[in-house]
Amino acid sequence: MAALSRRSFLRRSVAAGAVGAGILYGLTGRAEAAGSGTVPMGSVIDLTRCDGCKGEAVPACVAACRTKNADRFPEPVQPILDYWPQKKHEDWSQQRDVITRLTPYNWTYVETVTVEVDGVAQEVSVPRRCMHCENPTCMSLCPFSAIEQHASGMVEIHQSACMGGAKCRDVCPWGIPQRQAGVGPYLDIAPQYLGGGAMFKCDGCVDLLEAGETPACAAACPRGAITFGPREEMRALARRRAEEIGGYIYGETENGGTSTFYVSKIPFELIDAAIRKRKAEESDTRPGRPGMPVGVGNMLDTPTGLALSMLIAPVAGVAAAVAGAARVMKKGDDA
Amino acid sequence: MRMARRPQVRRHTLSDRVVHWGVALSIFLLLFSGFGQMPMYKRYKVADLPGLAWSADYGATLLLHYIGAAVLIGVAAYHVLFNLRTRRLGLLPRRGDLKESVQIIAAMLTGKPEPPSGKFLAEQRLAYAYMAATVLLLILTGLVKVIKNLPGVSLPYAVLKWNTALHNIGTGLIILGIVAHLAAFLLRPNRPLVKSIFTGTVDAEYARKRHPLWNPPPAE
Repeated sequence: MAALSRRSFLRRSVAAGAVGAGILYGLTGRAEAAGSGTVPMGSVIDLTRCDGCKGEAVPACVAACRTKNADRFPEPVQPILDYWPQKKHEDWSQQRDVITRLTPYNWTYVETVTVEVDGVAQEVSVPRRCMHCENPTCMSLCPFSAIEQHASGMVEIHQSACMGGAKCRDVCPWGIPQRQAGVGPYLDIAPQYLGGGAMFKCDGCVDLLEAGETPACAAACPRGAITFGPREEMRALARRRAEEIGGYIYGETENGGTSTFYVSKIPFELIDAAIRKRKAEESDTRPGRPGMPVGVGNMLDTPTGLALSMLIAPVAGVAAAVAGAARVMKKGDDA
Repeated sequence: MRMARRPQVRRHTLSDRVVHWGVALSIFLLLFSGFGQMPMYKRYKVADLPGLAWSADYGATLLLHYIGAAVLIGVAAYHVLFNLRTRRLGLLPRRGDLKESVQIIAAMLTGKPEPPSGKFLAEQRLAYAYMAATVLLLILTGLVKVIKNLPGVSLPYAVLKWNTALHNIGTGLIILGIVAHLAAFLLRPNRPLVKSIFTGTVDAEYARKRHPLWNPPPAE
């Protein structure tokens, strides 16, 4: 019987384990290194200060964002094809002026709703854009890894790798990224049958932020409602401010934690309900007008619980192999 | 009327068959749930088929992908260790296998005699190496994806991008491998193995003719 000796088996097992552990260790080492140099950044959006630039045609943050990103807006190739076998496609190129929702040409907007608090109607203006999650579901689940989380924590879509399937929008609790058909690498493959364009959203002005400058929306706000800074400082600022006004924070726990902390005197449950009510009244079912679901979870929480099975599975396999091999070697047959 | 049974020999042990079907079924589940990770079942109306509405739910297909992955990893670990411990290394490729495979396939197509083989044909050893390497690539890049999905883990973008590309390439390679594996049974000389992967045995006569250098164990 030409079996492996117990000693050489043990030696090989230990060696294999060491190599595996080394790979894992190397990966986590690199993961930590990614954060060095730039600390995670964040922002506070103070709803007690924002008035939606009442009286202006375009809120200052929206105008600044559009100006800064104008040369990155999609220029679709005509004719734009339907998403076979569906008889539709998403095209915002004829509605570039829309500023009342998120579109591929409008990466931030202000939702103004009336909320009744203790019998008194109050108007609230909420600047909306990507929350820049700490664990972005869009980035983790993009099938082509077209989404990058920068060392500053800002989350950016690389249109050069995006097929426009809009999965990022489906797995985002707020449905933030918006799709434009007729642009992106899918045009070079089989545009009639595969892909749907490219996705667009706020990138946190990562270029400015990592150069130590202020993102366009915050720099333009005339009322100082948007503040950017190191994430933990922003968290502390949001908590201080919420305590001052006896208010609430949104974005700290949602989707497992984000880099955007909204502060409001009015409970976010009421704001969320008001947004949904208004959309229902307007029969608005198109994407690009996110609600504010309080405490919304991260859809990767369940798979995280299952990740341990990846460790248990090989252990079970190894145990079965050791037992099975021992039986076969004892019998000396080929059963 | 009972048919007279021709003498049989053991081709696939119970362990071999458990590994084969464990790998086959988990990879089927992984392919279906993995394609579900691309936004396609809704667009191409697979989710409109009766009973398949869940296929457009990324949460559901991701969980199935994790379950399939755990089964595949477990079976693969068992397979590697069991065969190492029992020294069943006959499926590992050898020098000259490529040339010999060409001869065997040419012989099958022309009906000429094949070069004499032991338990495994050269082409079977190569096919095994291809499948094993592809599965290993998919498992390793898949594990990186599992790590990436954990909260608090942020891998460098270049690692993420390359890893995703390799996982997607691995998917293409495994599909090619499965197609080739199934296409092999279009050739008549390979067909007795279809029975064997279910029952574990082939005709003694087939074994003697096709594997003259193999001394097969009896069926029981």
